Amino acid sequence: MSGSKPDILWSPHHADRYVICDSELGLYRIGPVGCSETKAGALPLSVETAATLLAINSDTPYMKCVAWYPKHEPECLLAVGQANGRVVLTSLGQSHNSKCKELMGKEFVPKHARQCNTLAWNPVDSNWLAAGLDKHRADFSVLIWDISSKFSPEASVAAEKIRLSSGDTDSGLVVTKPLYELGQNDACLSLCWLPRDQKLLLAGMHRNLAIFDLRNTSQKTFVNTKAIQGVTVDPHFPDRVASFFEGQVAIWDLRKFEKPVLTLTEQPKPLTKVAWCPTRMGLLATLTRDSNIIRLYDMQHTPTPIGDETEPTIIERSVQPSNSLIGSFAWHPTSQNRMVVVSAANRVMTDFTVFERISLAWSSTTSLMWACGRHLYECAEGVGGEGTVEKDIATKMRQRAQSRYGHDTVQVWKNHLLAGGDDPQLKSLWYTLFFMKQYTEDVEQKQQGSKQALVYSGIKNIVKSSSGTTENRRCWSGSDRQTDVPRFHSEERSLALRLCGWINRGPDINVEPFLRSLEGEGEWERAAAVALFNLDIRRAIQILNKGASAERGDLNLNVVAMALSGYTDEKSSLWREMCSSLRLQLKNPYLCVMFAFLTSEPGTYDGVLYESSVAVTDRVAFACMFLNDSQLPRYMEKLTSEMKEVGNLEGILLTGLTKDGVDLMESYVDRTGDVQTASFCMLKGSPGEVVKDPRVQCWIENYRNLLDAWRFWHKRAEFDIHRSKLDPSSKPLAQVFVSCNFCGKSISYSCSAMPHQGRGFSQYGVSGSPTKSKVTSCPGCRKPLPRCALCLMNMGTPVSNCPGTGHGTGKSDEKVDLTRENKLAQFNNWFTWCHNCRHGGHAGHILSWFRDHTECPVSACTCKCMQLDTTGNLVPSDSH
Amino acid sequence: MDLHILDHRLRVTSICKNGLVNFTHPLIKLIFLRNRARCKFFSLTETPENYTVVLDEEGFKELQPSEHLLVESSVWLPLNVVSNGNSSSSSQAVGVTKIAKSVIAPLAQQHVSVFMLSTYQTDFILVREKDLAVVINTLEEEFNIYREVGGEYSAVLSQDVHNGFQKNGKEAPQLTVHPLLIPQNQFCVMSLDPDTLPAIATTLIDVLFYSDSPKEGALPSQDLDCIKFFSFSLIDGYVSLVMDTEAQRQFPADLLFTSSSRELWRMVRIGGQPLGFGKLPFNPSSERPTINECGIVAQISQPLADNDISAYYISTFSFDHALVPEEDIVSVTEMLRQHRKEPAC
Repeated sequence: MSGSKPDILWSPHHADRYVICDSELGLYRIGPVGCSETKAGALPLSVETAATLLAINSDTPYMKCVAWYPKHEPECLLAVGQANGRVVLTSLGQSHNSKCKELMGKEFVPKHARQCNTLAWNPVDSNWLAAGLDKHRADFSVLIWDISSKFSPEASVAAEKIRLSSGDTDSGLVVTKPLYELGQNDACLSLCWLPRDQKLLLAGMHRNLAIFDLRNTSQKTFVNTKAIQGVTVDPHFPDRVASFFEGQVAIWDLRKFEKPVLTLTEQPKPLTKVAWCPTRMGLLATLTRDSNIIRLYDMQHTPTPIGDETEPTIIERSVQPSNSLIGSFAWHPTSQNRMVVVSAANRVMTDFTVFERISLAWSSTTSLMWACGRHLYECAEGVGGEGTVEKDIATKMRQRAQSRYGHDTVQVWKNHLLAGGDDPQLKSLWYTLFFMKQYTEDVEQKQQGSKQALVYSGIKNIVKSSSGTTENRRCWSGSDRQTDVPRFHSEERSLALRLCGWINRGPDINVEPFLRSLEGEGEWERAAAVALFNLDIRRAIQILNKGASAERGDLNLNVVAMALSGYTDEKSSLWREMCSSLRLQLKNPYLCVMFAFLTSEPGTYDGVLYESSVAVTDRVAFACMFLNDSQLPRYMEKLTSEMKEVGNLEGILLTGLTKDGVDLMESYVDRTGDVQTASFCMLKGSPGEVVKDPRVQCWIENYRNLLDAWRFWHKRAEFDIHRSKLDPSSKPLAQVFVSCNFCGKSISYSCSAMPHQGRGFSQYGVSGSPTKSKVTSCPGCRKPLPRCALCLMNMGTPVSNCPGTGHGTGKSDEKVDLTRENKLAQFNNWFTWCHNCRHGGHAGHILSWFRDHTECPVSACTCKCMQLDTTGNLVPSDSH
Repeated sequence: MDLHILDHRLRVTSICKNGLVNFTHPLIKLIFLRNRARCKFFSLTETPENYTVVLDEEGFKELQPSEHLLVESSVWLPLNVVSNGNSSSSSQAVGVTKIAKSVIAPLAQQHVSVFMLSTYQTDFILVREKDLAVVINTLEEEFNIYREVGGEYSAVLSQDVHNGFQKNGKEAPQLTVHPLLIPQNQFCVMSLDPDTLPAIATTLIDVLFYSDSPKEGALPSQDLDCIKFFSFSLIDGYVSLVMDTEAQRQFPADLLFTSSSRELWRMVRIGGQPLGFGKLPFNPSSERPTINECGIVAQISQPLADNDISAYYISTFSFDHALVPEEDIVSVTEMLRQHRKEPAC
C-alpha cells in the first residue's frame, strides 16, 4: 500500500489510543506532554499532548481498509481489507486473551479476488464483519463474514475445486464461506451498519445507495445516486446519513430515502473523508485531497426531517489544524470536538480541538450569557464589589425605577436621593428643576405670569433679557476697606442666583441660609468660597476654622484660613505674588478659586470661571455677580456650548428645558444611555414644546419598553400615569368598549355621558353605594347585561365575595377610597371575556377560576382561554 | 432486471500486426497513464490476426489515422445488465449465459448485431448507436432501461426514441454456420489493482507487443492446437486481463486477482480460420462475419444457457471467442456440434 493515503482510527474503548495505518499499522498512546509515561520518544501532537508509539504491525501488505473490533475484548483486534479482497484479522501489541490468539491471522477469502474497499463490524453482533469489494461479473460485492466460523471444506463449494495453497488449508485459518452474500455483479465502495436494526446494512454500491436487510436478503431498498462513497450514520440521528461523491456531500434521511435532503456546497477538489462528530450533535467534518483545512458543517439547527419548503440553516466554516497537507483525521470518540490529524506525508500528527462557536445573549437585566460547547457562562455585575467599578446604567435605572425615582413631584430635589444620591450631575439637575418649580409656584402666588415661561428657559435666556443692571462697590464686610471689585445687580441676576440656589426668594441677597446648609453638609471649602465671593472674608475664615475643628476635619483648612487672613490689595505685595503662584498647588478647587478671586484683576476672573471642577451652579452664580452685561452673555454662551458638548446635566441650569436643553440631554443620553433621567426631566418641561420633540418621545418610548422588558408593568403603568398628568396629550383614548348585545350601543358611553370615557366602568357597581349605582341592564335598551359565567349574576352586579382578597365592596358607601386594596376590588368588578370563546364575567371571578383551571368555566366549553393569552402566564417582576 | 445504457461512445478499431509499431506510444499512454489520457473505456485484444482496440472517443483521438488502422464506421454504445440485487437466481452460471435469453436472443431476432466484451468485472454488450431505438424497443419489456447521462441514470421509454425507430429490414436471415475452433490453451480471467499497474508494466508490454518474438520451446501461433490470445481492458478504472496460462506465468503471482478456485477456461473460437476480415470494410455490401452478422453470439450462447454453463465472450474485429469452464469443454464441444446439425435454434 505504498503511496496510499494514511488513515486514523481511534480505539473504541481506550480514549488515549489510536492506530495510524499507511503502509503498516502503528498503535499510539496519547498523553500530556512531560508525563512520565510519554517522555521517552514521545512525538509532540500539540502544546499539551504528545503521543508514544506502542506497537507496529507490518504483517499485512496491500492494506486497503482497516476496521477496529468494536467490543472491549479482545481490545486491539483489527480487520484489514487487502487489495486482493482478503480480509485478515490482526492485532497490535501483546494480547494474552485466548480469543484474540484464536482469531489472529484468520483470513476471509472471497471467491474472486478484487480489491476490498471497506469493512464494517456489526456494532451489536460483533462476530459479523461486512466487507465491501469491487465488482466481479459473477460474484457478490458485499460479503458478511462470521469471524467465529471455522474453515470447513465440506461446507464450501466442491472441495477439489479449491486450489488454495496448502499452507492456508492446513492452518485452518482460512474461511471462504461468507455468512451472507449481497450485491451480485456490483461494486461496493462503502458500508455501514444501521443502528435501527442490527441486520440492516447500508452500502454505497456502484451508482446507488442500497439498504440490505439480512432478514430477507432478496429485498433491498435502493436509490440511484452518484454519492456513494463514505456512507456514515450520524451518531446522534440514526436516520441521518452522509455520503459523498467527488466534491459533493449528500445528506440523506432514511425515512425519506428518495433523494438527499441536503447537498452541501461543492468543493473544487475531491473529498477523501467525511465524518460526523461523535461528541457534538449535527457537526460534520469533511476533508478534500491536497488540502490543509478541514471544513465543518454545523447542522445543529437544521430541522429533522427537513421540510421541502424551509431553507435549512447550515453554518459552514473551516479549521486549519496544521500547516501541512492533511492525510486524514479522526474525531476523538469521547473528548469534545477533538480530533487527531495526520499529515499526508511523513506521518506528522496533530492533536486538535475544534473551538466551538460562541453564542451570546444579553438578558434584559444586564447579565450576559454565552455558551461554548457544553459550557454555559454567565457574566453578571458583581453584587458585592461596589465602588470599584461603576454599575451599568441599566442596573442603575432598574434600581432607580424600583425606588420610584422621578416620581417625587413635590420635593423634586429628592429625586436625586432616590437615584442613589451619589451623582453630582443628577443632584444639580434635580435641584435646578426644584428651584425652577419653586419659582414658578411663587410667581403664581404673586400673579406674575410673565416670568413663568422664562424660568424654564434657563439662565442663559434669563440673563439675555437682563436690563437695568446696577453696579456697586461694596466694602469687605467686617472691614472698612473699600474694594475695587464691582458687583452687578438686576432682577434677572437675582432670579439666576435663586435658580443657582444661592439665595432664597425675596429681593435681598442673603446667602447666609445657603452657607449654613453647606456647613451642615460639611462642604467647608465651598461654603468658604461662597462667603468670600459675597465679600465676607471674615465669615470665610470662620467657616474654614469650623471646618478644621469639625469631626474628621482637615487641619490644613486652618492654614488656608491663615493665608486668607493675610489678604492685601496691594498690587505688588509678596502675599499676592505667592498666592497667585502657590494656589495652583491646592487640591481643592474651591480653595484654589478663592485665591484666584483675590489675586485677579477686576473683571478678569478666568481663574474662577473656567475652573471646571467647580460646580456649574457656583460658577454661574459667580458670573452673575461679577461679570458685566457684555461679558455675562458671552460667558453663558460659551459655558452652555461646553456643557452641551459633554452632555453635562448641570448645564440644564443654563439651557433650561428648551430645545437647547434637549440637545444637551441628547449628548448626555448618547454618553450614558440614561433614558430614564431624560424622560423624567423632559416631562417636567411639559408647558413647552420640548415634550413633542421626537428625541424626547423616543426616550420616553424606550424607557417604557425597558420597563416592559424588565416586566416592571406596574412601574410602566405608574410612569404612564405620571406622564399623562404632565403631558395630557399623551393620554391614550379608550380603546375597549362594552357594547350591549341587543342594541349594540356602548353601555359605558351612553349611560354616563361623561367626558372621561375611561371612567365609564366605574359606574357599574364600583363607585358609590352598590344599591344606588347598580346597573345591570343596558342603559340604552334596558335589556339585561350578560351574566357572569361563574356567579351567574348579571354583569354590573358588584362582586359580593371575592375569593382572592376577601374584601367586599359593599362596605364602601363613602367616597371612593383609592387605596391599593380598593383599586383591586374595583378591578374585580370589571368585565372580562375570552376573545376566542366569548365567555366571561367578573374579572375577579375569572381570575380566581383560572388559578386552578385551564378550561373555560362555561360547561361544555373546552376553550383553554388563559393559555391563549401568551403573556397571561408571565408574572410582573415588580409586583408588590 | 435493469439495463443500463452507459455514457460511453465507443469506436471499434483494428490494428494489423505489422502496423503495431506505429501505435505503441498511444497504446502505452492509454494503458499506463490513465490520468493523462482521459479515456474511460479501453480494451485491447490480441489475436493471431490483429489487435482489436475498443475505446471511447477521447481515447480514439490518441490514435493517428494510418493505413494500418481499420475503423468500424459506427459509434457503439455499451449496455450493461444489472441484476438489481435480485440474487434469487438459482443458476450458478455466470457471464453471457445469464443474459443470453433475455438480451442476446431477442436482439438476434431483431437482426441487431452485437459486439460482446466480457471482463473480470462484468459483461458489456455493445450495440450500434443507430440500432438503439430497436434495442430499446426490443428489450423494454424485459428490462427497466436507464440511460446514463453525466453520471446520473434516467429511465428511458421507447416512445422517447420512436423517431429513430426502424426495423432492420430483413427478416430472420438464414444463419451462416461458422466453423468452430477449440484450441488447446487454458485461459484465465484475472484482474489487478490499477495502482499496481506500474509494477507489471514491463511484463505487460512484453506480452502485448513482443509476443511474436521467438521464445524457446514455444511454437509460433500458427500452431492450430494453441492460439495466441491476450486481452487487456481498463474500463472505468477497473482492469481485466484474459490470457493463457503460459502468459500468466510471466506475471508475479501475488499481484493478479483471480477466483480462489483458480478456475481455468477453454476457448471456443467461432470461425475456424482467419477469414481475412480486415479487407472487407472496403466492400460494404459484403457482410462481416462477426460485426455485421447478427446472431453469432446467440448461436453459441443459447445452447450454453440451455445447459447452464458459464461463459465469457469476447468479440474481436474478426472473430468471436467464447470461454467456457475447462471441465465443461467436452460437453460443450459435443453440444455445439450437435446443435449445428439441427438448423433451428
